[in-house]
Amino acid sequence: MPISKDRLGGLLLLAFCIAYAFLSQQIRLLPFQESSAFHARTMPEVLSVLGIGLSLIVIAFPGSKARLELAGHDWLKVGLFLALMSAYGLTIRPLGFIASTSLFLMIGFFMLGERRPLYLIAVAVPLVVLFWVLMTQGLDVFIEPLPTFLRGGN
Amino acid sequence: MLEGIMIGLTTALSIQNLLFVMMGCLAGTFIGMLPGLGPMSAIALMIPIAATLDPSAGIILMAAVYYGAIFGGSTSSILINAPGVASTVATSFDGYPMAKSGKAGKALAIAAYSSFSGGVIAALFLLVAAPFLASVSLSFQSTDYFALMVLGLVAVAAFAGKGDMAKALLMTVIGLMLSTVGTDQTQGVPRFTLGMIDLVDGISFLLLVMATFALSEALMAILKPKGDADRLKEKEASENLGSMAVSKDEVKEMAPVIGRSSILGFLIGVLPGAGATIASFLAYGTEQRIAGPEKGKQFGKGSVRGLSAPETANNAAATGSFVPLLTLGIPGSGTTAIMLGALIGYGIQPGPRLYIDQPEVFWSVIVSMWIGNIVLLILNLPLIPYIARVLAIPSRFLLPLILFFSLIGVYFVSFNTFDIQLMVLFAIAAVVLRMLDFPMAPMILGFILGGMMEENLRRALLINNDSWSFLWERPLTLTILIIAALCLVAPFLTGKIREMKDRAYERTSGSGD
Repeated sequence: MPISKDRLGGLLLLAFCIAYAFLSQQIRLLPFQESSAFHARTMPEVLSVLGIGLSLIVIAFPGSKARLELAGHDWLKVGLFLALMSAYGLTIRPLGFIASTSLFLMIGFFMLGERRPLYLIAVAVPLVVLFWVLMTQGLDVFIEPLPTFLRGGN
Repeated sequence: MLEGIMIGLTTALSIQNLLFVMMGCLAGTFIGMLPGLGPMSAIALMIPIAATLDPSAGIILMAAVYYGAIFGGSTSSILINAPGVASTVATSFDGYPMAKSGKAGKALAIAAYSSFSGGVIAALFLLVAAPFLASVSLSFQSTDYFALMVLGLVAVAAFAGKGDMAKALLMTVIGLMLSTVGTDQTQGVPRFTLGMIDLVDGISFLLLVMATFALSEALMAILKPKGDADRLKEKEASENLGSMAVSKDEVKEMAPVIGRSSILGFLIGVLPGAGATIASFLAYGTEQRIAGPEKGKQFGKGSVRGLSAPETANNAAATGSFVPLLTLGIPGSGTTAIMLGALIGYGIQPGPRLYIDQPEVFWSVIVSMWIGNIVLLILNLPLIPYIARVLAIPSRFLLPLILFFSLIGVYFVSFNTFDIQLMVLFAIAAVVLRMLDFPMAPMILGFILGGMMEENLRRALLINNDSWSFLWERPLTLTILIIAALCLVAPFLTGKIREMKDRAYERTSGSGD
């Protein structure tokens, strides 16, 4: 059965709220805290009830019957970009700021259709170096520019 | 007050802060012009820089970015009929037809003059209203603050429209839920950390804002790439602006519109949840109604009034939305919610005490609004033909850069690579929810108010010996909660009344036939 956008979103958020409600019961309280009117679980419990209730309202009374259109979207590219961002997070320390960011930008430009190697390098590298200089010299925010194996000292 | 203005002037007119206003206006215009990136993303992108400055300079920079982004959004609305944000949708109704008829420069100039006037007049109202409201709100207790926060959250959802209200409320609750992640502030108990040490301090608001706005906007643009025709349109629009001169007759036509729309915009902006979008549509509708049949017909075809009204009102509303932020510490919109988050990051608690404890921050924000608007007019207007070229930058270069600035903005604050992975996760969730038409702004508002709301509720219960009776025993708290309840019920009631009216009209017109 086709499902409307509102209902699908409601179902996803209902699952999130149920998981939240379950985890709220795992919050550990000290014995004296349990008897007080307000403790670390109070707000999460109220929110769980509200969240589950509102999700059910959205599912039961959807505001629109529009359906999710998956066609005509470049899902693969978005997936690749998400992987690229994650990889950037993993490489920024070992590769250093300049190499990892230049690679991130060049791969990003390439994935979106730029195929000229000179343009890839000429846009990414100077911009990254300039940004690094601005941050370290202008705003006193230091970030390691070089890969681990090129860094001096310990 | 005079003393306050002097403090504000001294702070805001320092060379350093003037430079930040200029930089903020330019950066805001630049970012706001990019279709999809609105004031919220623009401010979020600036937070890492603002965090390195002193509080006054940081807030001045963000306020300037805010105005710049609104102006930038209007520019893309006028030139390519692509409003970056909802508040500039009404601008495109008459701005784009004007641009299409070869008067893009004139349309941009009218928008700039109207924005300037709306901003300056509203800042004058703010000057009077903010200290007054701040002195009144000094008598507020934690119970009232709790009720006010409920009102703020409910109002944002209520203005989402009848069909979307439940979704907006649900997103608000999701935001409140995310705010509970981390160590409980009063009892020191870890909550929802899933055993991860990186979550003990909770989720950073900057991370959430960047992931759900800037990052997801860029990902949405990758998901739905533009056609060649759109790109060509953007390139052409950015190159041929025409004359920017405005005639005397047009100024005469604009003047009363600016006066009315400034007042309307400011008042709407002060209301929590209403904001610039509603103000701009209301001002447009009001002017269309009072324009008379002849002038009314020009609306939608390039009317000067139709362009001036929403532009004035959205800027006036942006200024008005600072009233609840500065005086009550309660943001009335997603944008001011981000500003609140930034202020808290500085260790500043906005509210009535801000006016007394940190007058330099309070007044310099107000004074910087004037300066920001002047800078927008004298700096951005002549530069707009050059700034508009940003629309011609190919998206294959622009989108990876937006992703980079979003990721590095968060990383530069925490230097924790876990944050980048968390951003990716939130960005996935945001893209999915956006595809399903679930609004993001209520979630941010809920996230930012969550901690304060819990703290005020806890304090209220403590003061009232663990009794919930404060909800109905204290008149002020009760009044605010009743208003909140009315906000929830009002869309349904007005809908029902309209249905009944329509039915009655059909019946009478049917019997008349």
